[in-house]
Amino acid sequence: MLRRLTQRISDMRTIKVLCTDAEKHANAAGQTEPGLEHFVLAALALPDGSARRAFERIGADPAQFTAAIARQYADALNSIGIAASPLDTQGDTAAIAPGKGPYQAKPAVQSLMQQLASRPGSHAAEPLLGAHVIAVAAAARFGVAPRALKAMGIDLQALINATQDELRTATAR
Amino acid sequence: MIIPHPLPAADNPAEALAAVVALRLLADQLERNAVAHAIAQGWSWTQVAEALGVSKQAAHKRLAGTLPPIDLPDQER
Repeated sequence: MLRRLTQRISDMRTIKVLCTDAEKHANAAGQTEPGLEHFVLAALALPDGSARRAFERIGADPAQFTAAIARQYADALNSIGIAASPLDTQGDTAAIAPGKGPYQAKPAVQSLMQQLASRPGSHAAEPLLGAHVIAVAAAARFGVAPRALKAMGIDLQALINATQDELRTATAR
Repeated sequence: MIIPHPLPAADNPAEALAAVVALRLLADQLERNAVAHAIAQGWSWTQVAEALGVSKQAAHKRLAGTLPPIDLPDQER
């Protein structure tokens, strides 16, 4: 009982870090509300390292994800005949100040939080890890996050399998 | 910006909707930069709102806290 309570408190800290970092990534890209892709970036920076290792298990470089977000925007604009992407997704001109008032995120983030709360193992005092976030992002059918993963040449099912392997390894420790 | 061919066919809605998301982000950036330049050049929020076709309150609420810093050359001030 105490272990579960301690784990819940630890998970709440992890969620807070994820939300704060995701908002920073969104603001740096000129967006007021973070989306799933910004939570992937936040998960890759978590100290547990499981998100990064899941990428590395399938030979993907997690450091390329930011560039992949920009590339999928460029690809989307190319599809309607805008040849070069004029979008600045990380430059100084794109960045905006953090929003004031209550925390706001894109609708996909609400689904992310629900899936993290109901994840297998959440009742068995298993910690919330970055790999859990990657698993949700890789399972999304549409949106910037899965498009960016595909732009990196990632097989989404292979990434989901890698997150499961990573979570099994973490649980066994 | 050149759009040399018709918009995406309706048989590929995923790609078309991804383009909509990218265009919205592009429009937001263009709007913030243009408004930042306008304010730096001395435009009032009433003028900005009129140019955008929205109310002054709506323009200020949505954009005032999100504008990038603009460093204008002396002749533009």
